[in-house]
Amino acid sequence: MTQIQMNPTIERILKNIDKVMIGKRNVAELSLVALLAEGHVLLEDVPGVGKTMMVRALAKSVNANFRRIQFTPDLLPSDVTGVSIYNPKEMEFQFRPGPIMGNIILADEINRTSPKTQSALLEGMEESSVTIDGVTHRLEKPFFVMATQNPIEYEGTYPLPEAQLDRFLLKMKMGYPDVEEEMEVLSRAQKIAPIEELEAVIDLGELRALQQEIKQVTVDDMLKRYIVDIANWTRTDSHVYLGASPRGSIALMKAAQAYAYMYGRDYVLPDDIQYLAPYVFSHRIILKSEAKFEGITAEDIVHRVLSRVPVPVQRLVK
Amino acid sequence: MKIQEKQGKVLNFFLYTCGFLLLWEWLRPLKELTDTANMSVFIFFLCLAFTLAYLNVHFFIRTGLKLLYVFYTLNFLYFEGSFFRFKWLVFLFQDVRENMSVVFQGDWMELSDSFRSLLFFLLLALMAYLLHYWLIQRKQIFVFFFMTLVFITVLDTFTPYEAKGAIVRSVMIGFVVMGILTFFRLVEKERVQMQAGFAKKWMAPLLVMTCISVLIGYSVPKASPIWPDPVPYIKSYSQGSGTDGSGGEKKVGYGIDDSKLGGPFKADNTIVYETEVDSRQYWKVETKDVYTGKGWISSVEEGERVSFDQNENFPIASYTNPNIKTEDRTAIIKPVVNYPHLIYPLGLRSVQNDSQNTFEVDLSLEKIYTSNPIDGPGIKEYSVEYANPKFSVKSMMSIVDNQHPELTGEFLERYTQLPEELPQRVKDLALELTKDKTNWYDKAKTIENYFDGPQFQYDQKDVAVPSRNEDYVDQFLFETHKGYCDNFSTSMLVMVRSLGIPARWVKGYTQGDFRGLGDSGKRLYVVTNNNAHSWVEVYFPNIGWVPFEPTKGFANNIQFAYDQVSQNTGTDVQQTPQAPKVEMPKDEKKTASAKKSSFSWKETWSNAKDFLNKYWYLFILALLVIGFVIYGLYRTRLKWLPCYYVYRFKRRRKDEDFPAAYFTLLNHLNRYGLTRKQGQTLRDYAEYVDRYFSSEEMGILTENYERYVYKGHLEKGTWEETRELWENLIKKTIA
Repeated sequence: MTQIQMNPTIERILKNIDKVMIGKRNVAELSLVALLAEGHVLLEDVPGVGKTMMVRALAKSVNANFRRIQFTPDLLPSDVTGVSIYNPKEMEFQFRPGPIMGNIILADEINRTSPKTQSALLEGMEESSVTIDGVTHRLEKPFFVMATQNPIEYEGTYPLPEAQLDRFLLKMKMGYPDVEEEMEVLSRAQKIAPIEELEAVIDLGELRALQQEIKQVTVDDMLKRYIVDIANWTRTDSHVYLGASPRGSIALMKAAQAYAYMYGRDYVLPDDIQYLAPYVFSHRIILKSEAKFEGITAEDIVHRVLSRVPVPVQRLVK
Repeated sequence: MKIQEKQGKVLNFFLYTCGFLLLWEWLRPLKELTDTANMSVFIFFLCLAFTLAYLNVHFFIRTGLKLLYVFYTLNFLYFEGSFFRFKWLVFLFQDVRENMSVVFQGDWMELSDSFRSLLFFLLLALMAYLLHYWLIQRKQIFVFFFMTLVFITVLDTFTPYEAKGAIVRSVMIGFVVMGILTFFRLVEKERVQMQAGFAKKWMAPLLVMTCISVLIGYSVPKASPIWPDPVPYIKSYSQGSGTDGSGGEKKVGYGIDDSKLGGPFKADNTIVYETEVDSRQYWKVETKDVYTGKGWISSVEEGERVSFDQNENFPIASYTNPNIKTEDRTAIIKPVVNYPHLIYPLGLRSVQNDSQNTFEVDLSLEKIYTSNPIDGPGIKEYSVEYANPKFSVKSMMSIVDNQHPELTGEFLERYTQLPEELPQRVKDLALELTKDKTNWYDKAKTIENYFDGPQFQYDQKDVAVPSRNEDYVDQFLFETHKGYCDNFSTSMLVMVRSLGIPARWVKGYTQGDFRGLGDSGKRLYVVTNNNAHSWVEVYFPNIGWVPFEPTKGFANNIQFAYDQVSQNTGTDVQQTPQAPKVEMPKDEKKTASAKKSSFSWKETWSNAKDFLNKYWYLFILALLVIGFVIYGLYRTRLKWLPCYYVYRFKRRRKDEDFPAAYFTLLNHLNRYGLTRKQGQTLRDYAEYVDRYFSSEEMGILTENYERYVYKGHLEKGTWEETRELWENLIKKTIA
């Protein structure tokens, strides 16, 4: 196999994150894919596996304004978006921006808060703007939300509705580190937290430029068809109640472009699509309850579909 | 998408064409079976309808054009005056209105031709639309195809329509249509992307397979049907067997029409007569004199009828020479089935009956009718007086040629008639058989005995019908050797006639089954339909008509007086079983080819057939060798294919050849056993291949190919750079 050459800038960012995150390279890559593709990430995992660290490292690497919102049951929408407060000195209302007015936002335990507050965040994610007291405030770009949620079996949670899940480009799990990695974590914990020393690799301007460049990555019609085929097959699978939406197809294409770019290519391969499809599609597929009882997961469905949809290997003759 | 549409269009064109042809098959018989004229007008209408449907013309334009055509045609066919002078339209609508009332009265015969045509156009338009719907929307045609076949076969069976060509055409068209539809359904079901050449890849084998199977089916010899022809059975079932002479041709029994002989018979035990006789003999009904090559007809359509009453002698003298030894006999005949004719023995003198005095005899057929109307009550019983002859062999042997005052030119012409198309080999055979016989009797006897030979077989079931170009006798003598009385008697007769000896064909019944003694003290026989029979009568001057029995296993109780030859006169003469060994004429082919010197397909075909017949072992050997070679090549393809590929791509130096080369490699690796799964990407597969060969060529090649296939970009010199890798890899599969 030929040496895989990553885009040098991306390589530097990932190395930077590597300094504080032990293992978890794929999570870092996927987060970066979402950031570059101007999407958002939903991390589903138990507390204490390094989700916050991950986002902070990412934010630092791109020199972004990092905000964190800890969602609690009593959090109000205005706590997220910001609020106008009367300033007696100036004799007028002054807007005090909420934590959503950042570049990279960690929405911790998003399923702990009420749907009302959840939707305030999700609306911001979708529209890239928030409206407070009739004034629309554009959110600064890049705007990247990494939401974490505890697995929904836990008590006292408000599961995100399907429509809102659709707004996340990727959903992934962090997972526990393996034994050696965890030992390394312990060793590092004895020293001072390295996150403070992390330096920026690129600035926001460069990040925006990267985001623009990614849009130029070629996706051949054949591969667009391939993406659509995959989405279509998830819709007709007998275990599936609701398949991937066209928004899901768009998401898969954008993610694939970012992923191809990361790996130094200016064209997408079916491999990119196959790699990303489970992350992009699994939270967009709703299984029938029978399938759930049988223990089939959305990932299984996506994998099965991937093994069945023929990979296009021959150019269509025009 | 564009490709899909384009390919779809081509296939749709095929579909519509086939649909049109299939529907045409429904129209073809109409010309022959009904008095429908101007079929081309309707066919053109179908053509128009299908073309419009294919071009997907807007509904209104389509309908308008069709209406225009229909009106124009109606005007052209049925109305006077110009089309554009719309006066005729008034007539048309009047016509339609009148016909509508006729329709509501259910008076179907009263419909006018123009209205019928209009309705037919309507029907055709509906059918065209239905076919369009089946082909394009439902993508299912089997039911229609099946109905077409049923339609054609039913017509073929029950009507004069010959559907031989039609069935071949329909099957071919049907298979092609169903093949295309299957393709469409598969594409739809499996959600396959239509790639360039997909349709071609499907169509080529489909057409080739259809053509080959049709060709094979057409050329292989076909067994004659195992089931007897159902038509006569159905007909006889509906009409009641035996009540009229024409019903149940193919059931054993007496029938009038003998113009098409051949085909299997079904046994029928219906009793037709009960007879009381002194000694057994055959019963005559009629004689026929013209052989057509397929069967027998009478030279005179309606012969002159002469009536005679019971006191009068039978108007036709049985023997020309009053000196023939005869024995007077009587017999009582009780018809069980009411036929309009009588059966009578050889040497009939007179007929007696209680209720009816006069009878009529057809002088040409020698057939006796009761003068009752055909459907009137038949006679229940009659008796005959006849002179049972004892033919003198000696006097028969004295006849050596036709130089006799009794044998007038007219007589000879009538009773030595043969069709012109009679194959020469039949005559040759007759000559060959009788070459060392001088007199007529010996000749006739030799030919009669010839049929006792082991090559001939009496069979009622497996009997062929001569095809259009075949002669009934020729087929029996040289090909089938299987048959029943008609085959034997006709064959003997034709051979005898070919020697210039006058002979005629006699139809009637054999003696029947013996059932003990009757009330009158005579022997009681029961004659059933199974006893229907035919035999030969040869004319000897100075004697008269002498019966011969060529049919294997049958014996006519005719006494021959072997004046010197044998002492036991008065007893039945057993037919000598030894048939002279005869060599078949070998130069039959020569004569056949000499006849037609010009080139013809038929001849080529028959030549090819002859060649195959002669050298079939060589042919099979060649096939086997070719088969083995192909099999060997197939088994060792992994060894030689790579070399072939290397050689093939050696001369191709353009970068554009790289994808083809890569794809060839992919296919070859697949053949080698390294299968790429459907959902496996090229990169993944390349890794697998490289791991297998512990190489890295596939990875590099794949990367280049990926750039071509997913980016549409092929760098200059790609093929030059990677050719060696490609060759290495493809050669690795040999090692």
